[in-house]
Amino acid sequence: MGEQQMFDGRPVLQFRTGSDRRTFLKWAGLVGVGAGFVAGGLLGAPTAAQAAEIKRDVKAAAKAGGDVDILNYALTLEYLESDFYATGLAKGFLSGRELELVTPIGDHEKQHVEAVTAAVKALGGTPVEKPKITYPDGTFASRDSFLKTASAFEELGVTAYHGQVPLVQSTDILAAAASIAGVESRHAAVIASLIGGEPFPNPIEKHADMSTVLAAVKPLIS
Amino acid sequence: MSREAFVRGELGQVSPSQALFALNNRWALASAADFSSDVDVLNYALTLEYLEAAFYQQGNSAGLLSGTEQTYLAKIQSDEEYHVTALTGVIKQLGGTPVAAPGVNFGDAFASRDSFLTTSHTFENVGVGAYLGAAGYIKDKTILQAAAGIFGVEARHAAVVGNLLGLQAEGGVYMGAFETPIAKATVLKDVMPFLSSQMGGSMPSGSVDTGGGSAAARDESGLFGLGGAALVGAAGAAAYALHRRQRDEAPQEQ
Repeated sequence: MGEQQMFDGRPVLQFRTGSDRRTFLKWAGLVGVGAGFVAGGLLGAPTAAQAAEIKRDVKAAAKAGGDVDILNYALTLEYLESDFYATGLAKGFLSGRELELVTPIGDHEKQHVEAVTAAVKALGGTPVEKPKITYPDGTFASRDSFLKTASAFEELGVTAYHGQVPLVQSTDILAAAASIAGVESRHAAVIASLIGGEPFPNPIEKHADMSTVLAAVKPLIS
Repeated sequence: MSREAFVRGELGQVSPSQALFALNNRWALASAADFSSDVDVLNYALTLEYLEAAFYQQGNSAGLLSGTEQTYLAKIQSDEEYHVTALTGVIKQLGGTPVAAPGVNFGDAFASRDSFLTTSHTFENVGVGAYLGAAGYIKDKTILQAAAGIFGVEARHAAVVGNLLGLQAEGGVYMGAFETPIAKATVLKDVMPFLSSQMGGSMPSGSVDTGGGSAAARDESGLFGLGGAALVGAAGAAAYALHRRQRDEAPQEQ
């Protein structure tokens, strides 16, 4: 499932307050971090031109309030993932080894929400609230639809974190984000192997800018 | 730590109590003197990738696996080979000198499917921790992004191999909700038993196949972003030829 097809383009996120929504959207409009090179499927280190683009983006990020915004962006995605697994696991589709493998993923996402919330506060920022999430019909219709959507979420989460790596200012925040991103990579690989997908789609993780990620999870919000 | 302990999966690393909950200082784990430059960090990573690539070249040639396991491990090997090529290219781009491939000796790691996968699992988790422990030293943001991208793939390897081994989900497939960095000194202590200054009789140089032939279907455009199809020199070319021959004898996924 490609990112663009997730939820058939239907909106899944509604923000409680205009402020949360604006915070989440700020990056999309502001930076659009190298949309070109992400669309081109570039892996690994950018070319010189793209490096220059990243440098511009880094400056823009710093100007925009940077790390708090990045963390609130991550927090929104973690809220989404956490809610997704809680809802999906409650349906009782999974058993045996699959249940054993997916249950900790839900726990991890919950811990990520807590950690990122704490990180926002530590920086003196205000954590965004949990968005109201509505899943399209069929998302939790079966074990297959649950795990396929999970796979799309995890791959998206991985690219989202990696897209922010060069933009994070604080090395502490970078450490936090990286240590979460690695776990998302584990999730993505395990889920892919459960659905007969490709656990190692690239030799270096891809990265996506915020607008690409937004397009996947809430296409109609802007 | 002994090579035997490593092969048994007993890995010296930071305790879970030191794991991150939001904002503790991850980088404090490594001494400030660990790395003097980006090239330093990259050469550290390159050494580990050489080791991993050689490990899979030998392990996959041993004929211990079949089916999905064989396919997965072949992919992992081509990932590690790609990492060697990529890191070598970046180091050269920065005007640095890539370290030579170390001599390797994996002892009885390839005695069985279990010992191969168990050692792999340990290697991958060491790799994950090593990248995380060193990332804070990387100053160039674009290089940081590339290193983070490699780190994530090592985490995928670790999880999938852990699952192939049927290890418990938490503590075997996943190592908690947050990855734990491993300091350079610990990493080196863990991998030291596999590094030999002398080449064993049947042991190739430890250089790797940089052709990435088994990954043709995948998007490897980043190779060019990382400095072009840099080869690892004459030693690499020799090992490449050797490796191709091994592949022809024991064809894997292609």
